[in-house]
Amino acid sequence: MRIPSYDDLAPSIPDVSASDVLESVQRLLPDSGPVTRGTAPAAEVSGQLLFACLRSTRTPEALMDIARDFSPRIQRYGAACVVFDVSGLGRLLGDPATIGAELARAAADKCGAPRSADCDEGIHVRTRPRFTSRYGIRIEPHPVEHANLVLHAAVTDRTRIAVDRTEGHGTRISADPSQKTIRENQRPIDKKEIREDSRPVNSSAIVVAVAPTQISALLASFGGSALTVITGQIDGALADLPLHVLRQLMVTIHGVVVLRPNASTITPVTDAPGWPSWSACEEVFDVLQRWGLKTLGEFAALPAADLSARLGKAGVALQRLARGIDPRPLIPDPEVPRYRERLELEWPIDSLEPLSFVLARLLDSLSLALERADRGAAAIRLDLRLVDRSTHSRMLQLPVAMRDARVLRTLLLLDLESHPPGAAIDIVAIEVDPAPGRVLQYSLLERALPSAETIATLTARLAALVGEFRCGMPVLLDSYRPDAFVLERFAPAEIPVHAGRAHAGSVSLALQGSRTPLCLRRFRPPVAVRVVVTRGRPVQVAIDRRGMPGGEVVQAAGPWRSSGEWWAGATRHWDRDEWDVSFTDGATCRIFRERENGKWFIEGLLD
Amino acid sequence: MARAHLESLLRARKLDVTLTDTSIPRSPDDRASTGLPVVDAALGGGFARGQLSEIVGPRSSGRTAVLCQALAAAAARGELVALVDTTDRFDPVSAGAAGLDLSRVLWIRDTGDAARALKATTLVLQAGNFGIVAFDLADVPAPALRAFPFTTWLRIAKIVEGSQTVALIVGSDRIARSPGGVTLTLESPVREPRVQWTGSSHRARFVAGVDPKARVVGGR
Repeated sequence: MRIPSYDDLAPSIPDVSASDVLESVQRLLPDSGPVTRGTAPAAEVSGQLLFACLRSTRTPEALMDIARDFSPRIQRYGAACVVFDVSGLGRLLGDPATIGAELARAAADKCGAPRSADCDEGIHVRTRPRFTSRYGIRIEPHPVEHANLVLHAAVTDRTRIAVDRTEGHGTRISADPSQKTIRENQRPIDKKEIREDSRPVNSSAIVVAVAPTQISALLASFGGSALTVITGQIDGALADLPLHVLRQLMVTIHGVVVLRPNASTITPVTDAPGWPSWSACEEVFDVLQRWGLKTLGEFAALPAADLSARLGKAGVALQRLARGIDPRPLIPDPEVPRYRERLELEWPIDSLEPLSFVLARLLDSLSLALERADRGAAAIRLDLRLVDRSTHSRMLQLPVAMRDARVLRTLLLLDLESHPPGAAIDIVAIEVDPAPGRVLQYSLLERALPSAETIATLTARLAALVGEFRCGMPVLLDSYRPDAFVLERFAPAEIPVHAGRAHAGSVSLALQGSRTPLCLRRFRPPVAVRVVVTRGRPVQVAIDRRGMPGGEVVQAAGPWRSSGEWWAGATRHWDRDEWDVSFTDGATCRIFRERENGKWFIEGLLD
Repeated sequence: MARAHLESLLRARKLDVTLTDTSIPRSPDDRASTGLPVVDAALGGGFARGQLSEIVGPRSSGRTAVLCQALAAAAARGELVALVDTTDRFDPVSAGAAGLDLSRVLWIRDTGDAARALKATTLVLQAGNFGIVAFDLADVPAPALRAFPFTTWLRIAKIVEGSQTVALIVGSDRIARSPGGVTLTLESPVREPRVQWTGSSHRARFVAGVDPKARVVGGR
């Protein structure tokens, strides 16, 4: 019997031609413009590598979200920069400029609406003549000290050029792809006209760059424009970038922290592997600065042999980076799983009881996923999309990593009881921040303590009952101020097991005598009283409130002067004389007189 | 013989809660020491675990001092303690000076609502595994205490029954206790001051402490 080979098997997926894909896309997206504009350049771009770089110092967590929508091959450079392979997007989106525009649009959608016109943000198109002739755009060399010519690709795909950083003079160029003409107009332009004329497309916090190599995309992202597209010769595109962008690139790769304003640096403990070391890079940059080199083009033009002799391997490696040559292929980061569940409701929910069923369903699957990965939830975020288009978000920081669905649901419901949404709920989304699962080691020799889940649920219930800041663990402050303490989260799991035993000896030693030290039952706030003073000693305390101690004073001790924080203002400063007094009924109180205004108060009862 | 046989049958089925036979030896673990030798001697080693007890006395009789010492002794044994402070009277500074490890204290601060404080106490007792759960009702007006139905304390006693938790009520007058619990009454003889002073003149005098005269009512 002949065993059928793989080739004999009928393909389950029919072959699809490129034209079929384009037709399908055109049917699905009729308003996206002519897809055929991607044909000629797409055939050319599809055979070449193309990389995109997203960089942001304000929304680093959004970078991965955007990158995943475009490519599965993503590599992170530092905390605020990602590079991913977009070579395969040519057939779908077209030429690199269009890919860049799509990325910029995705970035703007992710980071909110664009700000008002900011001419610093636009597209630097460093292109070769083919692109220029197709769109009829000519980019003039732009001395930095006067103005930058930037290209704005508006959402409607019209290309316009505006001027930025002008002091009243500049150049405005507008172009229309259908006409393939160009108009130049050099005249003084005031700032108001710039704001009205320019249409920013990418004024979000994310910088986008598209280039044939990873390094050229990274360097272009530091070039100062919000969107940079490099096609054709990389050397020419990078030549006029300032040399400091190469230093910024190495700062990003090595994770160096640059302190402002003195620009000193905190260097990492270990250098990033596979790259020139940070110390060697600093030496090279220092030498290049002394040589008077200012741009990447000047650095790239140096003869490699002489550079190697003068600056060593680090110099040659940096020169290759300045030319935009990748030292190694893109190494995709391993996929980081996200634990997120979302459910759109068929009809809005306006109470917690039906919401608890929805939360149970979502949390059950999340709990299962966490259990499979041996993870727990360190924090849980609940986003409720309401019928009035607003979003009610709650974030719970859990004391320990946990994955019990019932406990998580209880905590969320208790939190929503205290912070209810303002309208009915349309969409429920839950996301958890995973943490490694806990390893619990029980002991037969130690007394059993409540589990972390029990404590978390208990404190959540108590917070919902008495208030969020009225239950917890008291912590004394390092201050002489009366009643100086704060309430912190009650987390007995974090207390060392033997901490309690350290106090055993002190307790027993303190009770050698028959007298027990009194504790104060404090009145919050102190209660105002009227005190009769004879020969500097209180003899009578009167108070208008029922049930409070008072009367004739039979014993008194004091005054004990207490003052402090005179530098902190009237609200925190205190200055008073304290007395311990006993009344005829046996009650003993602590009273004090404020020296500033002479008023008397009862601080508390000694019991 | 018949009575002993009956009692043994009840103990075997764990129905011996209301038995009053004091001859049965109790293990030390059944008692939570207060850290005060005088009080422990009166209590027979400490407060009984799994029972509802109370500390009562007039103002400045040492109720809060005895409570803080009991909480400190429990914390020193590695237990967690909880204090439901109905009128927000607890002073962490003086409690810390008395030796209480505040890192093991769960402090619930209410603003005078006794019913809400009772709910908080129930939640803490139901969570379990606390060494001592104290319910401070010392400054709650008597009408508010009388508003609690009598079944309230039966329910509290049922929650702690069989556990290792000591439920304590602190009050001015007797409120409630379980059959196995005690009422620790702090009082001083007539014309004898409760609070001890040292020193002669008021400028050289200070409060030395309190000598609690404890009287135990109830318990086994």
